[in-house]
Amino acid sequence: MKWGNDLSTFVEKFRQYLKPGYYDEFDYHWTMTIDLDRCTGCEACVVACQAENNLPIVGEKRYAQNREIKWIRIERYWEGEYPDVKMGFIPMLCQHCDAAPCEIACPVFATYHNQDGLNTQIYNRCIGTRTCAVYCPYEVRYFNWFTYTWDEPLEQQLNPDVTVREKGVMEKCTFCIQRIRLAKDNAKDDDRRRVRDGEVVPACVQSCPTEAMAFGDSNDPEAKVSKMMKNPRGYTVLEELNTTPSIVYLKKAHAES
Amino acid sequence: MQFIGAGSLGVAGGVLYGESVQKDVELLIPQVVPPEDYSPGVASWYNTVCNQCSAGCGISVRIREGKAKKIEGNPVHPVSQGRLCARGQAGLNVLYNPDRIRSPLQNATSRESGSFTEISWDEALTTIGSRIGRLRIEGNASRVRLLTGSTRGGLDELFAQFMSLLGSDHYQQYDFTDPGALRAANRIAFGMDQLPHYDIKHADYLLSFGADYLATWLSPVHYSLAYGHLRQGRDGQRGRTVQIEPRMSLSGAAADEWIAARPGTEGLLALGLAHELLRAGSYTGSDRDEWASALQPYSPAMVAAETDVSVDTIVRIAREFAESTASLAIAGGATAAGTNAVASVVAVNALNYLAGNLNQPGGIFFNPDPAFSAAAGSRQVGMQGMLDLAEAMEAGDVEVLIVHDSNPVHALPENVRFRQAMENVPLVVALSSFHDETTDMADLILPTNTYLESWGDDVPDPGVGFPVASISQPVVAPLYDTLPVGDIVLALARRIGGELPIRMPWGTMEEFIKARWRDEYDGRTAGLEGQDFDAFWQASLEAGVWGQPGIVAGDPSMPSSAAMIAALANPVSEFAGDESDYPFVLHPYLTATFLDGRGANLPWLQELPDPMTSVVYGSWAELNPATAEDLGIREGDVLEVETPAGSVSVPALIFPALRPGVVAMPIGQGHTAYGRYARNRGANPMDLVSMQIDDRSGDLAWAATRARVRNTGERLQIIKTDGVTRTLGRQILGPKNDHA
Repeated sequence: MKWGNDLSTFVEKFRQYLKPGYYDEFDYHWTMTIDLDRCTGCEACVVACQAENNLPIVGEKRYAQNREIKWIRIERYWEGEYPDVKMGFIPMLCQHCDAAPCEIACPVFATYHNQDGLNTQIYNRCIGTRTCAVYCPYEVRYFNWFTYTWDEPLEQQLNPDVTVREKGVMEKCTFCIQRIRLAKDNAKDDDRRRVRDGEVVPACVQSCPTEAMAFGDSNDPEAKVSKMMKNPRGYTVLEELNTTPSIVYLKKAHAES
Repeated sequence: MQFIGAGSLGVAGGVLYGESVQKDVELLIPQVVPPEDYSPGVASWYNTVCNQCSAGCGISVRIREGKAKKIEGNPVHPVSQGRLCARGQAGLNVLYNPDRIRSPLQNATSRESGSFTEISWDEALTTIGSRIGRLRIEGNASRVRLLTGSTRGGLDELFAQFMSLLGSDHYQQYDFTDPGALRAANRIAFGMDQLPHYDIKHADYLLSFGADYLATWLSPVHYSLAYGHLRQGRDGQRGRTVQIEPRMSLSGAAADEWIAARPGTEGLLALGLAHELLRAGSYTGSDRDEWASALQPYSPAMVAAETDVSVDTIVRIAREFAESTASLAIAGGATAAGTNAVASVVAVNALNYLAGNLNQPGGIFFNPDPAFSAAAGSRQVGMQGMLDLAEAMEAGDVEVLIVHDSNPVHALPENVRFRQAMENVPLVVALSSFHDETTDMADLILPTNTYLESWGDDVPDPGVGFPVASISQPVVAPLYDTLPVGDIVLALARRIGGELPIRMPWGTMEEFIKARWRDEYDGRTAGLEGQDFDAFWQASLEAGVWGQPGIVAGDPSMPSSAAMIAALANPVSEFAGDESDYPFVLHPYLTATFLDGRGANLPWLQELPDPMTSVVYGSWAELNPATAEDLGIREGDVLEVETPAGSVSVPALIFPALRPGVVAMPIGQGHTAYGRYARNRGANPMDLVSMQIDDRSGDLAWAATRARVRNTGERLQIIKTDGVTRTLGRQILGPKNDHA
C-alpha cells in the first residue's frame, strides 16, 4: 500500500487504518496494555517518563496556571461517599489512536500516523496552533508556552536521544520512539527481520513496580500484549468516540464476596 | 560613520575570535583524543544501590558520555527486580542538584547566620582531626558523638570501627522512617532483630493495619511487585487486601476494603479478630487455653464499641482471615506510632501466629543470617536516644558532633530543642551533600559524594528470605570537590593517629569494600566452588548484587506465646490534648514522594502530583467533606491547626476518604533550608506533634496528638492537577455492565 496525492479524505485514510490486517503489511503495530487491577497509582511511571523524555521542570507558578507537561499522568476518580468510598486510578497518556482526532486537526501535518501505528509529532513542523490539543478527547497533548530551562547542572541529565522542545511546540507521549528505533537498529545489526517481543520497553513500562503495563507488537499473536488484549476485562477509554486507541486497559477486578 | 561602525565591529570580532581560538584549542583535544572510558553515542550501564529510602533496591544507571541519564531497577536484584519507584527515578536530581555543596565550608560568623566560607580539604580535616585527636589522648573520646540516618553495610561498619577505635561508644542512628515499633514487637514475639520477609506475593488475604506497603512501608518496590502478583499473577486466583487506617493511603486505595477504625484502636481491633479466630476454633495449638484467657476480654461487642467497626465486620474479617489458605497481617504507619505502638504490633503478630502464618507461603518468613553478619537496625536509637543526645548536648557533654545523612532539626518535633542543644556543642561537623536545616547549623561542612558517586555495599533489610548483598559503585566521576563519606572517615582516622590508621589501613572506601568482600568470600564456601576471588568480585560488581537463593533460615526460634501475651496489655493509644479542647486527632502521614522530607529538594518530586490528592508544591490539611461542611470550610481556606505542642497554618483540602474527627497532614514539606526547591514551602507537621514516647520501643508516638482547627479567613490556592474527580458516568475506569 502506498500513499499518493490521490487520497482525498482523512476519513478514507482512517478506514484504511481500520481495515483488518492493515498493519500486517508493515512491521509492527505498537500496542500497550495497562492492568488497572495491578496499578496502584504510585506514579513511578510519571517520573520515569520525565527522566527519559526531557520533560521540563515548569515551576510552581506555571503549575498553578495548568501549564504542566507530563506525557503520562495518573487520573484519580472517587466513587461513593464516606465510609463506602473508593478511589480508582488510571494512567492516562497518548492513546496513539488509529483514528486520531488530532491528526485531522493539524493544519500543517505536524502530527501524523506512522507505519508502526504510532501517532507522532514533528516538532519542527509544528506552528503551535494548539488545535490538536483541543481535538484530543484524552487531553494528553501538552503545549510549550515557554522555552523552559534547567537550573545548572540539571541539564547534564538530559537524554541525548530525545529532542529538547522549545516555545510554541506541541508535544506528547511518543511510546518512547527512541527506544523503538534503538531496538530496530539492534535487530538490523543482528540480521533479524523483526524486533523480539519484550525488546522495546518504554520508560513507564520498565519502571512500573507492579508490572501493570505491557508493551509490544499486537501484530504478533504470541506477544504478551496480544494475549493481554484478549482478557475479558479489556476495554478502551471513551470507546464511544471510535478513536480506536492503541492502549487497552484491563479494568479493576472486584473481590468475590 | 558607517565605516567606523564596521571597523569597530571588526575589532570586536577580532577579540572574540582570539578568545574563541584559545577556547577551541582546549576543546579540540578531547575531541581528537578519544576518551578511554566510553564510546561516544553508546550508552553503558552500571549497577549500584539506590539510597532514596532504606529498602536497598538494586539499580542500573544509564551513562552516556560520562553523564548519568536514567536510573532503572536492576533486573537481577531480588529486591527491585528491574522495577523502581518515583523516588528512585528521581535519584538523578540528587546527583545533578543545583544546590549541592561543592567544596568544604566553614561557618563564617555565627551558626544562626547560615553564611559559610570555602576552605581547603586539608584545613578542614586537620581542624577536625586535631580536635578529636586531642580528645582521644585526653581520654575524652566519649565527648565525640556520631549521628547518622539509616547507614548500613560497609559504611556502617567503617563508622563503627572508627568510633570504637576512638574509644567512643556514641555512634547512633536516627531515621524517622525506621520501623522501631515493628522491630521491638518482633523481638518480643519471635526473638528476632532482623526484619522478617513478608511474603505478600503468595498471600491470598492481606490484612494491613496502617502499613502503606505500596508507598512508604519498608520496601515499597518489592511489595508493589508482590502486590501485582497477588492480584493478577496467578491464574484464576486473585488475592484480597483489607486496609485499616483512618486516612486512605495508596495501599488503602488499592485495597478491596478500607476500614477507618477509630484512631489508636487498631491494635484492639487485631485482638478482637484474634478473639473471634480462637472462638471459631480454628486454632488448635497446645497453648490455646492461655491465649483464650488472655483474649477473653476482647469480645467482638466490646471491640466494636471501642473501635467503631461493626460486630459483623469483625466476625466476617476474622472468618475470612482464618479460612484463607495464605493469610498475612502486617502493621505500620499510624498503627505503629501510638503510645501503644509495640502492643498493637504484637497484637498483629499474634494474629499471624494464631492463624498459622509463620514460615508458610504467603505468610512471614524469617531471614537467614545475612551476609557480613550485618546487624541491621541495631544502631537505631529512636526518639528516646535523640532526647538523650539532645540532653547530653545541652549539658555540655558533647564536644564534637558529627552528623551524616540525618536531619534531626527538621525531623524531630520542635520541643526536642535539638537546634538549641547544638548551640552548646563547640564543634559540629556535617558530612552532607546539601544545606539542610542541620547542616546549616554546622561549623564545618564536609561535602560528600552522592550515592551515585560512591563505593559501598549493602545488605537489604528486610531481606528477601535468602542471603543477599549488593555493591554500590560510582557510576560517574565526582562532579565537585567532594569526597565519598568512607574516604572522609579514613582520612580523619589518618589525621587522628594512634591506633586508628593502623587498624584502618585502607586508603579509600573502594579498598575497604573489596577487602570486606574478600573476607566474606573467604568465610563462605557453599556455592562458590571453582570461582576465585577476582572472578567472584568481578561477577558481583557487574551484577551489582550477590545472593544465595538456595539458603533459607534454619529452624526458627519458636515464637514465645508467653512474651506475646504479656505484651498485649494496654491496646489503646493515649492522645496528648484534651478532647474537649482539641476535638480532632492529628494524623501526620508519610508521602510516596518526599517520605520524611528527604525528597523535598528534588524538583521532579516537587512537581510530581501527590498520588492521592494530585497536589504539587506545598502542603495542606485534610478534612472529611462532612466535617468541612459543618465548619463552613472550603478547599483553600487557610486553617490554623493547633495542638498542645504548637500550631501551623496550611490551606484546607477536602479529602473524601478520611474519618470524620481526624485532620490529616502530609510529612515532608516545611523546610526552612534544603535548597531552592524545598525552602519555605508548606508546613512541617512535626511542629505539631507532642512529645510522647512508647517506652517499649523508645520511639516517638507521632500519631497520638489531638488538634483543633480554626478558619483564619485567609485563602491560599492549592495547586493540583485534578479537575473533576468523579467519572460522571463516563466509564473511564471500565464498562459497568460486566463483572469480569
